[in-house]
Formats: sequence, structure tokens, C-alpha cells
Amino acid sequence: MTSKTTNRIESIIKACSVILRMIKARPNVRKSEQVYYEILTKYFTRIRDVKQNGDFLAAHTVFFPTEILYAMNIVPMHTESTTWMTALFTGEATELVTAGAEAGLASEICTPHRGIAGAFTIKALPDPDVMLWSNLICDNTAKSGELIMELCGCPGYFLDHPFQESEQERNYLIGELQGMIDFLQDQSGRKMDWDKLSQLVAEMDKQIKLNREICELRKAVPTPFSPQGFLELLTLDYLFPGQPEATLYLETLRDELKEKVNAKTGAVENERFRLMSLFVPPMYLMSFLEKMSHEFGAVSVIEPFFTYWADGKLDPSKPLESVAQKSYMIPEVQMYGPMTDAKIQRVSDLAKQYKIDGAVFYADTGCRQTCALIKLLKDTLSEIDIPMLTLDSDVVDPTMMSQEDIREKFEGFFELLEDY
Amino acid sequence: MKALGIDIGSLTTKVVVLNNGVIETSCVVDSDDEADTSAKVAVARALGQANINLNGDYYIISTGAGGKATSISQKSKAISSCLARGIYHLYSSARMGIDIGAESGIVFKINERGKLKDQASHDKCAAGTGVFVKQMAKLMQISLEDMSELSLDAKTRPEISGTCAVFAESEVISHVHRDPPTPMADIAAGIYYSIVSRLMALCKRVGIEKDVVVTGGVAQNKGLINILEQELGFKVLVPDNAQSIVALGAAIIAQEQIEKGAK
Amino acid sequence: MLEKFREINLSFPQTSYIKEHISSGKKVIGWLCTYVPEEIIHAAGALPIRITGYQQEQELDDGTAYLYVNNCSFSRSCLQLALRGEYDFLDGIVGGSTCDGVRRLFDLWRKYKGTAFNQILSIPRKFTTQAHELYLSQVTQFKQNLEKHMGVTITDEALTKSIELYNETRALLKKLYDLRKSDSPPISGAEVLEVLDAGFRMPKEAFNDLLSKLINELSESSATHTGRARLAVVGSVLNNPEFIKSIEDQNALVVTDELCTSTRYWSDPVVLDNNKSPLEAISKRYLNNFPCARMYPSDERFDRIIQLVRDFKVDGVVSQIIRYCAPYAHDLPLLIKKLEAENVPILALDVEYGTSGSGQIATRVQAFLEMLEARKQ
Repeated sequence: MTSKTTNRIESIIKACSVILRMIKARPNVRKSEQVYYEILTKYFTRIRDVKQNGDFLAAHTVFFPTEILYAMNIVPMHTESTTWMTALFTGEATELVTAGAEAGLASEICTPHRGIAGAFTIKALPDPDVMLWSNLICDNTAKSGELIMELCGCPGYFLDHPFQESEQERNYLIGELQGMIDFLQDQSGRKMDWDKLSQLVAEMDKQIKLNREICELRKAVPTPFSPQGFLELLTLDYLFPGQPEATLYLETLRDELKEKVNAKTGAVENERFRLMSLFVPPMYLMSFLEKMSHEFGAVSVIEPFFTYWADGKLDPSKPLESVAQKSYMIPEVQMYGPMTDAKIQRVSDLAKQYKIDGAVFYADTGCRQTCALIKLLKDTLSEIDIPMLTLDSDVVDPTMMSQEDIREKFEGFFELLEDY
Repeated sequence: MKALGIDIGSLTTKVVVLNNGVIETSCVVDSDDEADTSAKVAVARALGQANINLNGDYYIISTGAGGKATSISQKSKAISSCLARGIYHLYSSARMGIDIGAESGIVFKINERGKLKDQASHDKCAAGTGVFVKQMAKLMQISLEDMSELSLDAKTRPEISGTCAVFAESEVISHVHRDPPTPMADIAAGIYYSIVSRLMALCKRVGIEKDVVVTGGVAQNKGLINILEQELGFKVLVPDNAQSIVALGAAIIAQEQIEKGAK
Repeated sequence: MLEKFREINLSFPQTSYIKEHISSGKKVIGWLCTYVPEEIIHAAGALPIRITGYQQEQELDDGTAYLYVNNCSFSRSCLQLALRGEYDFLDGIVGGSTCDGVRRLFDLWRKYKGTAFNQILSIPRKFTTQAHELYLSQVTQFKQNLEKHMGVTITDEALTKSIELYNETRALLKKLYDLRKSDSPPISGAEVLEVLDAGFRMPKEAFNDLLSKLINELSESSATHTGRARLAVVGSVLNNPEFIKSIEDQNALVVTDELCTSTRYWSDPVVLDNNKSPLEAISKRYLNNFPCARMYPSDERFDRIIQLVRDFKVDGVVSQIIRYCAPYAHDLPLLIKKLEAENVPILALDVEYGTSGSGQIATRVQAFLEMLEARKQ
């Protein structure tokens, strides 16, 4: 057990090395999985060694334009991912949430964000040089920065992401991004390398296309991608957008899936239920859910708000505009902004295109803005005769829902699908 | 071949034996710590009661908390699937069920073929369950029956903040100690209303459809049913002896399996 | 006089004023959140009314079925009223992208009620020049959409008139609040909230008239209110005067507040000057107004709270945060620190929208008041 005051980054690196050893020992494991854990190792090693390398560390919230940090040679630390990966590997979820509560955050605040404040309070994460945050995607992200600035004694920049997509709003966002660059130049003494940003944008555009190809491949019956593998796609864009390693991962994965589709082999031996996942499953149950998927032949084949990128293209000759453009294309951001009829229709269209049998909505107790869509999505899917399971859960707190509870709910749902 | 359904609960185990879709016998025994023992005892008792000797010529579906822990059944099924079948067997007009047990409240929909179509439940909340009703009766120092009767005379329904059992408790205490105190009948109605309201939220989420059948221990509570009916705006159906309805549903699934040619 | 305001609130949501307005063939537009400029609706010839939830805490089965149990009871309460047809008299709704609760309330309202005119304004969270430009473009768009919907032209003259009318309301409310700075104010906190609630549900012309009369009456009245401590109420949206009353019934005096239904609603006037169009003046005022917890930096709000505490000689602060109101809950630890530095204790209450403040809340208020008294000795 790590002591109460040291940071836990090392625990992620160690866990990744163990996983990598296991992957290498088993010949039939996906090559992309190996690339994935190598990426994680690289990401967290950089954070661990930030001081000794004389690097500048920027903590930032989810759906953040990390490309800008990479272009400025600043080390990013994704607060949500870093906090909860340490919790996953140290088993300290409850401690982090409690520490967040002790820092003054009430139960109104979702556990992921209470835990982040907790992680900084007990110094489980290194103090960043700056704190960066935006209002993507909810009030919790919008409000998380100032307390962290206070806890770490660092300056910060709030990136105000406009609510809708008018031209004025896009310009506002570009102004906000420029403001952040100015702030970072001031604070870090590092200069923005615009050529590098252009390269990153070009690479990112490639990655979005790869993501689309991967989605397309997953349409196949049986579907080729591992049941809960979509979380890798999420994490990749959280941590390594526009990086060559991310492209390598996506290309490797795409080729693997292609091969499977051609060979007509599915991710599970006997594909019985094709699922649409709405919102994120509890992180601490991933391996359990993976096992259960194989047992029941149930695979998530499409996640409209997590893996399905919205239309659009990035232009390397306009790097800052493209960074702004990307933020409108991120799958999760489709939940932001007004929930228009077109967005709702898209869910319904995807359900048909991917030949969905049922949908699963992971109702995270702390996530208000997503849960508010449960009825709307349920009604939408029921119009095309697709049942939706609503699973009360918590994305990080293991005390909320046990494996047995989840299993029981799923079994009931699979029975329902069988009879449907 | 006969179809058997076993519902292994934490307190009692119920068995229903079907013969070509007709209930041949049923029985209820106290559950043993071991689910498997409960199942075997209950089956032996039921068969003994009906004086039938099957020589293994039967198909068993088990369900309930211990449904998966028994080796006696061919398959185990979720309670909600069985409940939907059981209810439909009793009332083919049923399209929606509300089951209010000791620790959970669940709302589900039944399709025109008698199968489970949708469901919703409150998972992490004591408010809205049988335990909550008991807790509140205890707080008011009256019996469950008296509370139910009393509530029928209520003139108004005072606000009982029902978000959480803890809050509700302090609300009830403040009504009891108010000067003048809120009439007990009204408090009782207020408590039931807060439970019903929570169930109504679930009903509305899945979409209300007639007929509605109410099962579970709390279904016998006339006061609560009265308020539920007021909120729904129509009468609900409450089976007289609903204790074995889940086991019945399990037996029906077993029957279906037999018809499908299962061995 | 106060009776009049109470009567209006009793007939909420469709008050006699609203009925009268509709029967004269005019339209009513509901607004959600203080970042929606009322003057524009008024200048278009419609009656702006504020959308609120049930006056009392309610079982919210419809609200919960649609917004799920973890969205704030304010948004669930508003949505339930709408789903049950209580807001069917509205010709339109205008919201702001203020917080998650309100934006989803707007989504579901639009989807399941389909009110004829509906618009949600993108409201920046900053006070920068660019934020003002963006907000102005949103407000301009809103004005154009409303003109189109109602088939009218909103002239600068009409806007200026509306601004003057609303500024008068603000000035009168400031006068009313100034009366509360006295050691023994002529009006209680609960009564003030009753007045404000009525103001959201009637034309400002009539409201100003009633309000002036009330202020005159109070200035001449010898009635006074005293209590063992002077309190400020801060936090989430609050409409039920019962909550304030339950505090004051324990022999305390609520002298001011930082609520979007009162001080944050009226505190800043629209400043008209010759170099700006009336629309620009409106836009500037609404974004710069006493901020909601959603805005950044939070110090803007904290500093104004501290100023209130000083101006109104506040002994203690009662923070009431509706469950799942994340913006206010996030600010709480920071606000506590700021108030500590001012040596002002704070009582942090977790509430549901519409609460009457009975039960546990009353017990906690009592303990807080005893603590404040002990400090004075």
C-alpha cells in the first residue's frame, strides 16, 4: 500500500508493466491492446518524471484540446483519467471520494469530481504547474478548476466552451483557445509551435477517420471488436490526441478488425445480443463485464455518444480553427448543446444501422445531464421497438452497485431480449 | 412431462406444478440456509402433497434470490420474467405490473404475448418499499393494518419529503409533534402518497398502460392501493393469493420449454 | 398591502393578471433564469413571466420520470407543472444555458410540450469583452426571432421604454431592501420574498404601482421586526417564503440575500447612454449583473456577497443549496473560506426546492442561531 502522502502515478506504471508482461506471454491477445498499454506507460511515465525532466505540467479536465499542450511541449495530466486509473490500481476509490468530501464537496458533486479534489488534497496526484478546465461537458467540469487551484496553489485558465454552434460562438471559442495559449506562454515560458500544431491537427484528422473506419467495421455481424473495448478508444483521445502512437494503435486495431470481419469471426464466440451502450459502464467492473459479455454473447457494437464522431473535417492550414472544430465533433460533445431532434434521430438511425437488439443506459448517480436523457432516449428507441435497460450505477464508486446486482439486472434484460 | 416452477426466497420457498398448463399442486415451505436444500425439500413436499411420482419426468425452472444456487432445476430465470408470466396467466389483460416487496419496488410492462417488455426499479433507495412502510408505522406507533385503515379517512395529504427514508422520518416526527398535531390519518396518507409518487415516477418512465396488476407484500395494503388508484386514475388488479405468482410464472416458462421440445 | 402580493401568488401559476393579459388578446412568454433579458419580451408587447416550480415542496413523479431522480428538484418541479398543463397558457419559453438542470429542463419541455416559441440562449461564463460580444449576438438573435414569431418590430424607443420601466422596478426594490438595513426593519424577509414572487407573475407596470404603495406604507409604518441575529440567505433558486418564515419564526431576521429570485434579480440597473444602442445596454447589464455561481471567476460573486454582509450588518449566512445544484455546491468550500476571513459563520443546508424549512432544517437553524447568540456575548 502506498503511504498517504505520496503520489500514486507509479502505481499505474507498475500495473501497466504487469499487464504488458501478461499480454506478451499470451500470443493470441490483440496486438492493439499491447500498443494501448505502451501508450499508457509512456503517458504516465512523463507525468512521473516531470520534475526531473524540467517539464511543465498542466492538469486539465475531460474533452480538453490537449493538442495545444502537445504543440507547446507541455506535459498534460488528464485529471479524470489519472485520478481514476490510480484508484483502479490502488483500490482507493472510497478514500479519494471521502477526501473530496472532506475538502468540502457535497454529495451533489459526482464521485469522479469529488475524487479528483480528493486526489489533489491527499497529493495522490502531483501538483500541476497550472490547472486548465472547461465547461465541457457539465457543471462539474465547469466548476472543478477553482478549488483545485486553491488546493494546489497554482494559477489556472478556464476555457469557456460555448453552448451552441453559431459562427459567433465558434469565434468565441477560438478566442478562448488563443487566450489559453497566451496564458500558457506566460506561465511556462514555452512558445506555441504552430507548425507542430498543424501536424497534430493533420494527425488528428487521420485518427478521426480511423475511428470512423473502426465504427464501420463494427457493423459486421458478428461484430469484431471486443465487448468493452470501446473504452480504449475513449481513453486514447483523452490522453494522446494527434500523437503518432495513437495512430499506430488505431491502425493496428483497424487491421485486426478487418481481418476478423473477413474471416467472419466475432468478438464473442456466439453473438446473441447486439447492444448499444449509452454512457460509461462502471470502470471497476470492466473485466467482470467483459467476462459476462462472453458468457451471454452480448456485445456493445455502437456507442453514439462515445465512439461515433460527428461529421466534419480538420484543416491543418487552420490549426486553431481545427482544434475548435474538433471539439464540436467529439462523440460525447453530442450530448452537450441543445438535444435537438436531429441528434435524437441519429441515435435511432444508428440503432437500425448497427442492428441493435437492446440498449443499455448506465445511469451514473452523479451524472445529472446524461440521466436527464433517459426517458427521452428510452422513448426514442421504443418507437423502433428496441428495449433499453437502465442500470443505476456509479462510474467509479464500487459501493454503489455490486457485481451480483449488475449480473442480475443483465440476466433479466437478456431474458427480456430473448422473449422480445 | 410436468412443468415445475420454484421460487426460492430468503424466507420461503414456493413450488408450483403445472400439468398441461393447469396448476396441479403448489406449496410453500420455509427456506433453509442452503438454497439447494430448500428447493429439494419444497419439491418433495409438493409432489408428496399431490401424491405424484414423477420419476424425473419433469422440467424445472428456478428463480428468486436462491434460484441460481440449486442443482435441481434445468434453468434459472430472473424474477421479473417469471412475475410477468405469472401475472399474465392470471389476468391476460395485464400490460403492466407493480411489485412492491420488502426491499424493492419494481415496475414492469408485459406484452400481448404475456412476456416481459420493459422494467424499471429503484435500486439504492429504501423509501418506496415494504421496509419503509414498516419503519413509518413503527414511528407512528401503530400497526400496519391500523395505518392502512386510518389512511382511508384522510382529509389531506401532508407533505412528507420522500427523497430519502431519513428525511421522511424527521418529517413524520415533526407532523406528530406539531401543535396541533397533524391527524394520524393524514400522516398515513402522506406517507403512502410519498411511496406511490416514487412508483408513479417509474410507471411514467416506462409509460402507463392498462390493466395494472399489483403484487408483493405491500399489495395487500388497502390504504396504499387506494392512493395508487387515485394517482393512476383507475382501478388496479390485486390477486388474492399472490404469494406463489412468481413460482407460477417459473412453471409457465418450464411449460414453454417442454413445448419447445426441451429435455 | 402585503395581502395583495400574497393573493397574486395564491393563484400562481396563472394569476389574474396573466388571465387578464391573455383575454385582451396578448401573449405571455415564460423565461427561465436571470440571464434572459425580460425587457426584450416586454418591448415586443408580450408579458414576460418567470417560470418557477410549485410553491411548496411536492412529490415530483412526472418530473422524476422525465428528468430522472438526480436532477435538481427545481427543474423537476418546473417540468412537472408544464407536463401537467399548468403552463399551457404560455406562447413561448426562453431559457439560458445556465446550468445542466435548466438546459435539460429546456430540452424536455421543448420535446414533450412543444411550446410555439422556444429559444435557449448561449450564455458565456466569463465577463471578458469577447464574452460580451457573444452574449450580445445571442440577445440580438433572440430579439430577431421573437420579432419574427410575434410579427412585430421591436424599436429602440420601445426597448428604451421597457428599460425605464424595469429600471424603475429595480430602483423600487433597492429602496425596499434599503429599508432592511435598519436595526429594526419594517418588513420581514419572508414578506419580501412574497413581494418578489408576485413581481414575476404580473406586469411590471402594475407591480411598480403596488410596490411604490407598499414602500410608502412601510416608510410611515411603525411596525418593526427584530430578531436575535441578522441573517443573509444565499444559494440556489428559492421561491417559497415559508422557508424564510421558518427561520424568522425562530426569532431571527433575514435582512438580505444573494438569490436569483431577489438580489441577483434586481441588483443592477441597465445603464442607458448615447453611445450604445438599448440592446447593447441590456446585454451589458445582464452579463455583468450580480453573478450566478456558474460564472467565472467566482470571486466576482463572493466579493459581492461580502459587500452585502457588510452593508446589511449580517451576523450569519444561511446557505441553502438544492440537492444536485452543482454550481453552488462547488462554490461552497471556497465561499466558506471567504466568509471565515470576514469572521462570518455560515450554515450550509441541503434542501429540496420548495422546502418549508421544517423538521431537520429547523433544528439546524436553531442550533446555528444559538451559536450566533453565544458569539455575541
